[in-house]
Amino acid sequence: MNRQIRLLGAGILIMYVALFLKLNQVQFFQAHEINDRPENTRALQRDFNQPRGSIDSADGAVLAFSEARREALSYQRVYPEGDLFAHVTGYYSFNLGSDGVERTYNDDLAGRTPALELNQLDSLWTDESTEGDVVLTVRKDIQGVAKDALDGRQGSVVALDPRSGEILALYSNPTYDPNLISSNDTEKAEDSKGLYGLAEGKPLLAHTYRERYFPGSTFKVVTAAGGLTQGTVTETEPAYPVVRQYTPPLTNRPIFNFGQSECGGTLFTILAKSCNSSFAQMAVEQVGDDGMIDAAESAGFNDIPPLDLPNPAESRYPTDFGAVVSEPEGKAPVVEDAPRLAQTGIGQNDVAATPLQMALVAAAVANEGEIMTPHVMSTIRSRNGDVVDRFDPEIWRTAFNPNVAETLREGMIGVVENGTGAVLQIPDAEVGAKTGTAQLGTEPPTSHAWIIAFAGPPSEEPTVAVAVIVNNLDGGSSQTGGRVAGPVAKAVIESSLAVR
Amino acid sequence: MTVPTRAASEDAVALVSGRRRTTELGLLILAFIVIVGLYALASLGRNASVPANIGPFLAAVLALVLVAHLVVRRVAPAADALLLPLAALLNGMGYVFIARLNDDLAGLQAAWTAAGITCFVLTLVLVRDIKVLQRYRYTFGLIGVLLLLMPLLPVFGNEINGSRIWVSLGPVGFQPGEFAKIALAIFFAGYLQENRELLSVATFRLGPLSIPDPKHFAPILLAWGVALAVMIFQRDLGSALLFFVLFVVMLWVATGRAAYLVAGFILFAAGAALAYRQFSHVQQRVEIWLDPWTDPQGVGYQIVQSVYALSWGGVVGTGPGLGISGRIPFEETDFIFAIIAEELGLLGSTAVLCAFLLMVGSGLRIARRCSDSFGSLLAVGLTTLIGVQAFIIVGGVIRLLPLTGITLPFVSYGGSSLVANYVLLALLLRISDGASRRVPQPVLAR
Repeated sequence: MNRQIRLLGAGILIMYVALFLKLNQVQFFQAHEINDRPENTRALQRDFNQPRGSIDSADGAVLAFSEARREALSYQRVYPEGDLFAHVTGYYSFNLGSDGVERTYNDDLAGRTPALELNQLDSLWTDESTEGDVVLTVRKDIQGVAKDALDGRQGSVVALDPRSGEILALYSNPTYDPNLISSNDTEKAEDSKGLYGLAEGKPLLAHTYRERYFPGSTFKVVTAAGGLTQGTVTETEPAYPVVRQYTPPLTNRPIFNFGQSECGGTLFTILAKSCNSSFAQMAVEQVGDDGMIDAAESAGFNDIPPLDLPNPAESRYPTDFGAVVSEPEGKAPVVEDAPRLAQTGIGQNDVAATPLQMALVAAAVANEGEIMTPHVMSTIRSRNGDVVDRFDPEIWRTAFNPNVAETLREGMIGVVENGTGAVLQIPDAEVGAKTGTAQLGTEPPTSHAWIIAFAGPPSEEPTVAVAVIVNNLDGGSSQTGGRVAGPVAKAVIESSLAVR
Repeated sequence: MTVPTRAASEDAVALVSGRRRTTELGLLILAFIVIVGLYALASLGRNASVPANIGPFLAAVLALVLVAHLVVRRVAPAADALLLPLAALLNGMGYVFIARLNDDLAGLQAAWTAAGITCFVLTLVLVRDIKVLQRYRYTFGLIGVLLLLMPLLPVFGNEINGSRIWVSLGPVGFQPGEFAKIALAIFFAGYLQENRELLSVATFRLGPLSIPDPKHFAPILLAWGVALAVMIFQRDLGSALLFFVLFVVMLWVATGRAAYLVAGFILFAAGAALAYRQFSHVQQRVEIWLDPWTDPQGVGYQIVQSVYALSWGGVVGTGPGLGISGRIPFEETDFIFAIIAEELGLLGSTAVLCAFLLMVGSGLRIARRCSDSFGSLLAVGLTTLIGVQAFIIVGGVIRLLPLTGITLPFVSYGGSSLVANYVLLALLLRISDGASRRVPQPVLAR
């Protein structure tokens, strides 16, 4: 019997070793992964019972802080600016998760990054907590100007510094009040979110970086970049015919100029006048399918921008236009989808861009073709005021070479000096722009008004790039972009130039 | 020659007894310090203050521990020195965490602990020789089966949380199944001791197989079948599994025939497959075990929250009283291990496992030292009960096995479980004491 008892002991020992190994797996090897599971609210419950850092604007306004409460959850998140920064700070809710900076910089705000924990080692005995304050690049003054200029219309404004990628303003209307969604009263929070979800215009959605629109004529900058990069388009060549319409190969359906006006000429002229016929022709004959795809993807299309906010949308450009049908001499090969290629050349058909993406196109022109990584975080500060982390500017991608950038820059300045962007003429500043009107339908005719622009002191590097879109306008003409979106962009540019 | 030898052996017994009791006292004091420290820490963690009743608590724990020790010293002086301190440590830890979770239950658990120690003392005093139990083996078998059937009675029986394993006697509810396990272990030990030779020789041919004569099997198969059927009918899967293991292990240890293990395993597999096909709640258990995250807010909630608690504790734990409680259903009973693992971390949960492993080790050592095969078999059975029960519930809580709700011996909240386990402990000590007296082994310094 002794043998069996020994074996039994060994058997039970093996069973307990199995328990021990499983415990190691759950409590050590996989612990981090399990703690990070989205429906695991343990970390959240801890976080709501300890102080959390504040979110501050670049010009010193407090955008979010935690207020001590004598309730089940010890802290309530408060957003003193209401709905102004909702799409930047996001919300921080016990039951609904979080969004915006609250999500991307959660570890910093909660004080869980190695940098903050190390910093706190210095003051181990002073009972200071480790939570960090996030200082943004976004400015309250410019953000406020953007809101006022939109004046209640649906639309988005993105302003950024092309030299560093710092985002100065990121506002879209409709917006929401994060105080309601972040309420520790979970029912109230859920009801508020439900109401916002039903509201017209999707207030919860950050349209600036999560919604795509037809870029319309603003995309002509990308088409021009394609032509200039290929070398098939220069300041002087070719001169596009002055016509009312252009009919691409393999179709009978022409692409009309706005109001069927006559339009044509060399690059700067067609940019200033925003000729549909010329850019459609340029896309098909000078740039070609590969050239257009290259130009769009170099500028950031078909890629998710590395923005430090949650889930930025990818801007889209087609990746295939079918097989080559013929190869006319001196022109780009004709492809099966040539009619579609022509339409994409003027930002219609399957082209879709976020306002952020179009601002980055303007920034690329302003910054010698280089697109800096767009970001909203400037520095992370510990409780004692030390800067423990900062966002170092880095290049996201090179959209085109400096020569192309320079030509485009001159072209866009021409748009302001004697073209559709005249509304952006600002004394003592050099401004370049491109307007756009994305037509949504004809019955009834509605459109989005676009403008992308850059500005800076005369003959110096531009210090601000903007994209403005005003949505769902009745009607629409070639003037719409400049007339409707232009003043918004002008207000934002003036405000940016004044403070920087 | 005989007289001096006996005198010498009595001296040796006295020497061993003295050492063992001193060791036991020292370990009990150690357990006492750990429990009181943990109690104070848990209160500090929860309320940032030393508990107001720390004085009475100290006195009560000390009194219970000393009473148990003094009784052992008096009536079972040569018994194993490790078991009582280990039980006290587990019981005390359990109490601290129950008190940290639920004040009302803590008061009740304190009363149950007192009742448990009382029954421990009574068992030691009443059962002076383990062989007495062997005489009543069939009575115990009958008692075991009757206890199991009690919850099915229309008046007394009670269904709580989907398991019909409760009996109400006036205001007091208890789970007779906890006691049935001990009674049936006694019956098995008695019956197997009597028939082990018969059961270990193959005399009966069934086709190509040689098996022992079925008539020797009949009583034991009957008791086993009834018990298993009843437990499954009561939806008490954990107890059914425990009981099954107990039966197979005792049969194997008694006969030494590995074929019983193999047959037991095949039967288990067949039974499990059948149960899986027939009972939706069994299917659900298995599915939750395989992937609790398909419905983390619904059927998977309990095990998912348990896993979260474990991983939240990490290696060193949140500290007693500093975890996030109130999330796991049945956290005072079946899931107390998850709370301990959260607040004491991997280190604490491993310590609890070690405590059970040491109990198993002590129990099996008693079984080996015991010259009498009834005592030896009973020690094997009782040890298996504790070791496997802890394994089943811990395995369920940490998702090593499908969850079957049973208590963690000595740790979980629950009167029946606590009292029954103290009785079980007393029986083990009694066997140990008897073994040490009959076979003096002067080298034993444990």
